[in-house]
Amino acid sequence: MLVNFTLKSPHNLIIYTMKILVIEDEQALSDSILAYFTGEGNICELAKDFASASEKIALYHYDCILLDLGLPDGEGLELLTQLKSANKKDGVLIISARHSLDDRLAGLDLGADDYLVKPFHLSELKARVSAIVRRKNFDGNNVIAFNEVKVDVTAMKITVNDQPVVLTKKEFDLLVYFLSNKNKVVTKNAMAEHLWGDEMDLSDDFDFIYTHVKNLKKKLSEAGAKDYLRSVYGIGYKFSSQ
Amino acid sequence: MKLSSRYNRVNIITSIIVLIITGIIYYLVIHLILTNKLDKDLAVEENEIRQYTHTYKKLPLPATYLDQQVSYSNPEGDTTDIREFSYTTYLNPKEKEQEPGRSLVTTVNLNGKTVIVTITKSRVESEDLVRIILMITLGITVLLLVSLLLINRFVLNRLWKPFYAVLNRMKAFEVTRMDNIKEEPTRIDEFNELNKSVNAMAEKVKQDYKELKSFTDNASHEMMTPLAIINSKLDSLLQTESFTEQQGALLEDIYQATGRLSRLHQSLLLLAKIENNLISDVQEVDLKEMIEAKIRQFQELFERDGLIVEVKLLERKLTMSRYLADILLNNLISNAVRHNINGGKILLELTAQKLVVCNTGKKLNIQNRMFDRFSKSTESEGMGLGLAISKQICNLHGFGIAYKQDDHLHFFTIYLG
Repeated sequence: MLVNFTLKSPHNLIIYTMKILVIEDEQALSDSILAYFTGEGNICELAKDFASASEKIALYHYDCILLDLGLPDGEGLELLTQLKSANKKDGVLIISARHSLDDRLAGLDLGADDYLVKPFHLSELKARVSAIVRRKNFDGNNVIAFNEVKVDVTAMKITVNDQPVVLTKKEFDLLVYFLSNKNKVVTKNAMAEHLWGDEMDLSDDFDFIYTHVKNLKKKLSEAGAKDYLRSVYGIGYKFSSQ
Repeated sequence: MKLSSRYNRVNIITSIIVLIITGIIYYLVIHLILTNKLDKDLAVEENEIRQYTHTYKKLPLPATYLDQQVSYSNPEGDTTDIREFSYTTYLNPKEKEQEPGRSLVTTVNLNGKTVIVTITKSRVESEDLVRIILMITLGITVLLLVSLLLINRFVLNRLWKPFYAVLNRMKAFEVTRMDNIKEEPTRIDEFNELNKSVNAMAEKVKQDYKELKSFTDNASHEMMTPLAIINSKLDSLLQTESFTEQQGALLEDIYQATGRLSRLHQSLLLLAKIENNLISDVQEVDLKEMIEAKIRQFQELFERDGLIVEVKLLERKLTMSRYLADILLNNLISNAVRHNINGGKILLELTAQKLVVCNTGKKLNIQNRMFDRFSKSTESEGMGLGLAISKQICNLHGFGIAYKQDDHLHFFTIYLG
């Protein structure tokens, strides 16, 4: 497990890396996912079909497996059954084009941790994978840190330089989302869907997100954090130290 | 009207008409035969009088015997060759009663002189005979009708039993449950055939349903995959970060278009699913609680447009798909936000009978096409599918949905039945 062992001490900087298996037959899509996840010490592997996926699952341990249900040579849900019968604790996120409640429930019943319907935003995928990995590996001590900003996801507490900061539920969710996608441009569209759900049929005008971002920025800088958030071309935001 | 009562009605009316006509013909024919017989008797009597007159050169005594009267009279004027039968009355001397009679008026030649002879016979016996025959016929008719009714009531009902059994099983048939329609054994060939056909049809329906389900799944998959690729490539492109302001604007437009495309596609798939009843998470849904949660979810949108939301909610629980209930509320509320004016109002009212979503807005003239697919006002940002989906959801659950415009207020009412 490629997890830093200092994680139990909330005062130290916590860096963790993820080992991820992407099971996806669509080359173009898997390329994008791999490119988005690789970096910052994360290790990503790809399985293009049922057979190779089955082999990799049996041989190695992954922090999270991204599983596409529609594979050319087998039913994706069977891989899930295999994994569970081998008593492995790998996190599993199902990616499916099937917007079917039955499939969603079947997947979650078989022990998947989450279910994401295509098409999705890469930032949403990353946020969900990070959440699964944190849940699996940190046993309740679920803390994300970015320099002086520390977020205890379980207790929903934020500290900047060890001083608590009070955020609303939406601001908190937004911060966790940014931290899961640090150094990446996150679109307003993705943020809106993350915070309000994609069923809401929002209009194309996502400017109401601006208020939340502005408040978050203000609260963090008032608590003494550096200004990590910046707007990118009006499309979205990027949380990074540069 | 039930088949048996319809059949009964036709049967009885036809029987009555046929029996009445038969009765009339029967009566007339018997009447004719009996009159003929009387006339023959009268002719025999006439013949006897003629022969008597011819032999004895005098008239027989005018006498009354055996329901028969003979009388003579002198002719007035020229009355050669009179011979006619007629209906008259007959005075029964024993009983001193008028009876119907039949008489023959004829002439005899007595010593070169013409004498008119009237012979009258009582018809009472033949009339009695006709009456008895008529009564028997009527009795048989009534007996026949009563037995027809009884047969129809008891035998037909029993005969049709297997049919109603099949009908009930068809009513209870649900394609999503995938269970078979049970065979109901019967000795009637037609019903056996019906049984077989119903089962074959159910089998076919289930097969089609499965195919349709896999088609929607496949269509969704095949279209969503390229969309997912476009989306992920856009996300990746954005990370390369060396765009001018102008390129950024272009990217945003592409983002919005792909977003709309995937929402459109999802909406169409959802419509197909609702129409084919492919959604099965039916459960008890607390509508009041869901609406309250929705209002919290939409809070930012209300604030953005400065909308005042008034809420009057009573407890109401429904048995329906939770997923669809969520979509229905989403569609109605986002519709009320989207077509509102800045600083406008939204009124949400829930009672046991109905849910009303009312919003302020511009006057519209697409009233009749409100729930049609892709019908929307030109300035609308939506796809024109939200209300079509809402209507389908209501149809599926047997709710009524109505739109009413009152000046600048738009009312959407769902009758929860």
